[in-house]
Amino acid sequence: MAKKRRPKRQRFKQGDKAPSQSPTSSADGDDDEDGAGDDTAASTTNETADAASADAAKADAAKPDVAERGKASRTAKADKGTKIPAPLPAVIVRRERPTSAPPAREPVFWFGFEVAWAKLAVSRFVIFMLLALDAALQISHAPRYGAGDFNVAQVPFLDAIGAGRVLFGASQLALAYMFVMVAFGVATRVLLPLSAAIYAWLYFGSQLDSYQHHYLVALVLVIACFAPWQRPADAEPSTPVRAWAVRLLLVQLAIMYLWAAISKMDRAWVNGTTLSMQMTGTIGSLIAKTIGFKIASVLVIAVELALAAMVWARPAWKLAAPLGLLFHLGIVFTGLEIGLFAFLMLGIYTLVIPDAIWVAVMSKLEGIARLFAKPTWIAWGLGLVTSIAIARLVRIEDAFVLGLVMCVVPLGIAVHALVRGTRPALAVGIAHILALGLWLFVDRATSVTADYYRFWGGSQRRLGSSEVAEYAYRRFTAVAPDEEAGHFQLGRLLVKRGAIEEGLAELREAQRLEPAIARAFVEEARVLQQQGKTAEAIEKAKQATYADPSHAFARALLDSLTGNKPTPKPSDKPDADDPE
Amino acid sequence: MTKKPKPTTPKRYDDAPDLATRIIRGIERIPSGVLALVRTWQGLVILLVLASQLLLPLQYYTARRDPHDERFAWRMFSPMRMTRCTPKFTIDSKPVNLNTEFHEAWIEIANRGRFVVIEQMAARLCQKNPGAAVHVVIECQYVGKEPATWGGYDMCKVPLL
Repeated sequence: MAKKRRPKRQRFKQGDKAPSQSPTSSADGDDDEDGAGDDTAASTTNETADAASADAAKADAAKPDVAERGKASRTAKADKGTKIPAPLPAVIVRRERPTSAPPAREPVFWFGFEVAWAKLAVSRFVIFMLLALDAALQISHAPRYGAGDFNVAQVPFLDAIGAGRVLFGASQLALAYMFVMVAFGVATRVLLPLSAAIYAWLYFGSQLDSYQHHYLVALVLVIACFAPWQRPADAEPSTPVRAWAVRLLLVQLAIMYLWAAISKMDRAWVNGTTLSMQMTGTIGSLIAKTIGFKIASVLVIAVELALAAMVWARPAWKLAAPLGLLFHLGIVFTGLEIGLFAFLMLGIYTLVIPDAIWVAVMSKLEGIARLFAKPTWIAWGLGLVTSIAIARLVRIEDAFVLGLVMCVVPLGIAVHALVRGTRPALAVGIAHILALGLWLFVDRATSVTADYYRFWGGSQRRLGSSEVAEYAYRRFTAVAPDEEAGHFQLGRLLVKRGAIEEGLAELREAQRLEPAIARAFVEEARVLQQQGKTAEAIEKAKQATYADPSHAFARALLDSLTGNKPTPKPSDKPDADDPE
Repeated sequence: MTKKPKPTTPKRYDDAPDLATRIIRGIERIPSGVLALVRTWQGLVILLVLASQLLLPLQYYTARRDPHDERFAWRMFSPMRMTRCTPKFTIDSKPVNLNTEFHEAWIEIANRGRFVVIEQMAARLCQKNPGAAVHVVIECQYVGKEPATWGGYDMCKVPLL
């Protein structure tokens, strides 16, 4: 099927039924991406291009492949001494595929760039599902936003309108939802610009987000707003779709690689010092035992430069795709704390992997794609009802209310369908369920919700907002009842505000959960000491030293309780368990 | 004596431009391409993205006052990223416990030596303590470079590092 649609690139000469006397070029941007096209190429009319294509096809059918012809000629001469045909004239027609599309306007490097519909569909799904997961995982960082009423934006004029904890969390949930919908091709023209705007506001609104890849995502989203993510009418997986935004995205990637390579042209990088400091885990020890960090550092620069040169140019994709995939796969195994950066880059490489692969993949999945496009009210209604039930199960703050708000999307689509006299596609209902299902997955299968409350409680406690911290820790213990940290911190806060019995109960729960950690025993011993219950305090301090014999404060407390040593002063260092 | 036939190289591509010519032609077409881009809104979007992506990183190397601030410069895993700084804040010569004033995420950024954040932190302390002198000293350790010290004066009077 792919062969039928995309005949192999041919070079024809006039002597071989060349299409025209004048230099011609196709409307395909590929011809010009390497600067090979003639200056007159873009002025070629569509008719000429089509004629060229038709003639090329005839010539293709009539003669074997050019390379094969050359080989055959040489063989014939060697065998029979026959005369080699004269060199063929110079006119070169370079087309990748016949197309009925009008010729692209100048510059065709951008506006003539085409990719197979299959590639757009696959990359849309992969990239936006990754973005959805990334957004959902960011929720745990929400408590740092607006904490202590302090913010420094990426751009000064946004200082005052940076998101706070609630808005950041809700926005990331909404982004996760919208990205899943976009991944399924639902309402992309509305949801994509909206999500790009929200994402940009969150990213540029505060320097708290230090991930470089979130800056990349912000750019990718803006560029993606201009890509044709919707399936063209009657498009097959192999149908070429013009997408200047995809070209821009790839060029953007190339620029990023170029600057990344330039930044490493520094003695501290080239001599391997920096890499050896950054690399941990399996890859780090593997490099140390094999090529060494010095060679690896130089190789990184070489790979980044090579990718900068190749990633945007279709002819180089066969090299760029495996190189880039291996490079970023290697980064995955480095153990660097860079969030989903490497995975996102792997996702973006769906645009670099040659079209033919995705055409083959999508041809197999065409049945599912057609099924998803089927109009149905049943799936829509089921999706709406099921999603509300799912949202009810999500423990992330405000998730249920937001889940109800998100129903606006399928409702809006339904209204739009009614106005047009159609029905919503099956994909709408499925995507809506999966979007809220992602919230539930992240809530139940990861530590995001527990971390959200842990970080919130921790930061508020340190900043002196005991009341808010107590609320956060109560939620933390409800979400993660088996975590010692929540009970310990809640117990401390309760004791501090005078709710001694309730506080001691929490401290004892912490002791039960982690009998090898001394701090809950120490805390109870101190409370008992303050209450004048010295014997019980000594017993508790002993338990603390049994729990962790290396706990210096526990030993000092026991000494002060049993002897005449002064009572030790607790450390004012932040606890290790709840800083973000 | 039979004459050995001269090796025949197929000349099918002789008239096709070589790579260098292709590149030169491509470069020659850039000005007209840029002009063509200016005529459409899509072209303007492309130019805007390209310009920002070329100029913002360039600004880091040419005009950015803070070497620790690598934002928008695509300096992933650069040696500068490994810099560790120790910002010491004092109010009227008394050390400030930053943990009770700022979220630890801001302290972490300050530990990377980002001037703009440290300046804002100092401004905040000046605002909370009117009339007091807020001194900030940042000592930074670099990979492959000599350590450096920044600040050391009252940031309520001179708010920039």
